[in-house]
Amino acid sequence: MQTFKRNILAVPILVWIGLLVGIPLVFVFVLSFLSRDSLGNIIVQFTLENYQRVVDPIYLRVFLNSLLLALLTALVTLVIGYPVAYITANLEPKKRAFSIGLIMLPFWISSLLRTYGWMILLGNAGIINNVLLAIGVIDRPVPMMYKFSTTLIGTAYMLVPFMIVAIFNSVDKLDRSLLEASYDLGASKRQTFFNITLPLTIPGIAGGFTLVFIPALGLFYVSDLLGGGNTIFLGNLINTQVTRGRNRPLAAAFSIAMIIVALLVISLYSKVAKDDREGLFQ
Amino acid sequence: MKPPLLNLININKYFGDVHVLKDISFTIEQGEFLTLLGPSGCGKTTLLRCIAGLESVHSGDILLNGSSIKGIAPNKRNVNTVFQNYALFPHLNVYDNIAYGPRVKKSMKEAELKERVRDVLDLVQMLGYEKRMPHQLSGGQRQRIAIARALINEPAILLLDEPLGALDLKLRKHMQTELAHLQKKTGTTFVYVTHDQEEALNMSDRIVVIDQGKVQQLGSPRDIYNNPVNLFVTTFIGDRNIMQVEVLETKETHSKVKLGDNIVSIRNPKQHRLESGQAATLAIHMDKMRVSCDETPNALKAEVLSIHYAGSQIRMELKVDDKMITVVEYQKTDCECEIGDLVYVVWEDHGAILLPLEDSGVEREV
Repeated sequence: MQTFKRNILAVPILVWIGLLVGIPLVFVFVLSFLSRDSLGNIIVQFTLENYQRVVDPIYLRVFLNSLLLALLTALVTLVIGYPVAYITANLEPKKRAFSIGLIMLPFWISSLLRTYGWMILLGNAGIINNVLLAIGVIDRPVPMMYKFSTTLIGTAYMLVPFMIVAIFNSVDKLDRSLLEASYDLGASKRQTFFNITLPLTIPGIAGGFTLVFIPALGLFYVSDLLGGGNTIFLGNLINTQVTRGRNRPLAAAFSIAMIIVALLVISLYSKVAKDDREGLFQ
Repeated sequence: MKPPLLNLININKYFGDVHVLKDISFTIEQGEFLTLLGPSGCGKTTLLRCIAGLESVHSGDILLNGSSIKGIAPNKRNVNTVFQNYALFPHLNVYDNIAYGPRVKKSMKEAELKERVRDVLDLVQMLGYEKRMPHQLSGGQRQRIAIARALINEPAILLLDEPLGALDLKLRKHMQTELAHLQKKTGTTFVYVTHDQEEALNMSDRIVVIDQGKVQQLGSPRDIYNNPVNLFVTTFIGDRNIMQVEVLETKETHSKVKLGDNIVSIRNPKQHRLESGQAATLAIHMDKMRVSCDETPNALKAEVLSIHYAGSQIRMELKVDDKMITVVEYQKTDCECEIGDLVYVVWEDHGAILLPLEDSGVEREV
């Protein structure tokens, strides 16, 4: 009876998730096994052709592009995010709240607008080139737009707050007496960081990695706007297949493939999180 | 003359505006078991952390073997700490936890290290636990590993910050004995922080009683217990009945004092001089008192208010001249009394002490 009472509170959330996540997911899954006619109308006829095309070398290339982008994004956000999270977690309460506020501030502005902001910064007639030209560092604009690295900058910028927050929580949770014990036993600050702090914040790193890697697989407008479509990523491909390509079953198959990759990453993460719960990481 | 192992000279420490350590000075000798005893918030842990280097001092100096360690970082000081919550590294097993110190200092080869880890594990009776992770150990076992992890560094002083606080009563008593043995066996100087007077009295060679950031008394357990120098130590150590009396006449060792219509002779304090006609505080250990049915010389007349039988001991509440006192007896011999009876309370001479009434500097609710 007690458990029933407790569980009944979860019903609204389960209904919510079921409606907004479950049903669309089932829809996409079913769609990925269906065919279409030349006009793009769905024909209810079972086929595995969509999945055969997913593993086609041309599309595999797109997969690799996306995996590489997601991986690099996660690494870049880790390198930038760790020090920010570490320093923020060690600030006194007032400064720390201010710092967290600054990290969260971009969420108040549309991500599309912020992407346009990067175009204004990085374009040939953009702010950076203009400033460099004006002070005479360069004599013609340096092309910075429409490259793989431009997309990387965009996705990393978009996702770095998730990395920071995940690591922040981990550093914040760290028992300070462990660091004191390390100093007390003769370790330098550097040794303490690499022997104690870093291993004990691995759950945060893994969490941040998951939170960044998965969205980075699917972000399409960043590579559309900043990458100029020069490199095709999974998100772009799905977007194109749904809109211009009129091939929703194929888009669905790609989506399912992407979800499988995401699940793999999550299962890796949950292994780390399980070790964490078992006390290996406090 | 050889300098003392550790010399604390006029240590002052502030947290913001709060003056937490006030002019603390004392020395610690090689090989002794010294306890810093005081209520929570008295500054004892802060003082320990100052010795470890985990807190800085605002003024004063700390000399280890005659040379100042004031500006030296904790990782360069030859002292080690056993933390209150043990602070074992949760991601390292017992072996790696213990080997941590020598490894970061690169002070031993792996083969020698292996032997030394064996030695210290043997010392704390934890051989065979090398591969266990901290979360697989009980509180008492973690405690031992924390001590082994500190001792492997062969510190000049081992600092222990309420290490038994998290253990249950039975284990705590057992560990008290074991810690004292370990200290004698290794000859390491222990500085031990606790708020538990029984722990302090049991284990220490000397006790420093601290309250409100000041050293109240420094002495052997017996001295602290029997000859408290002020009201704080009197009330903090042991359970005493405190009464206000008037000094009638003071002699070399004892003074005659008056409490209501009782006139009794009480031992003089060592550190203070009493004057005739002065008001004074009389403090008597509850368990050094006895109830007698017959009129006895040098006794307080009292009325029995209540009697509680609590296992091996009997607690009695009595009224002496409008003042409630408690007597704890371990065996009832001479007097079968009942509530309302008039009795005579006597005490062992060394269990009672007189103190001047106005106590210097200690303002505290008793």
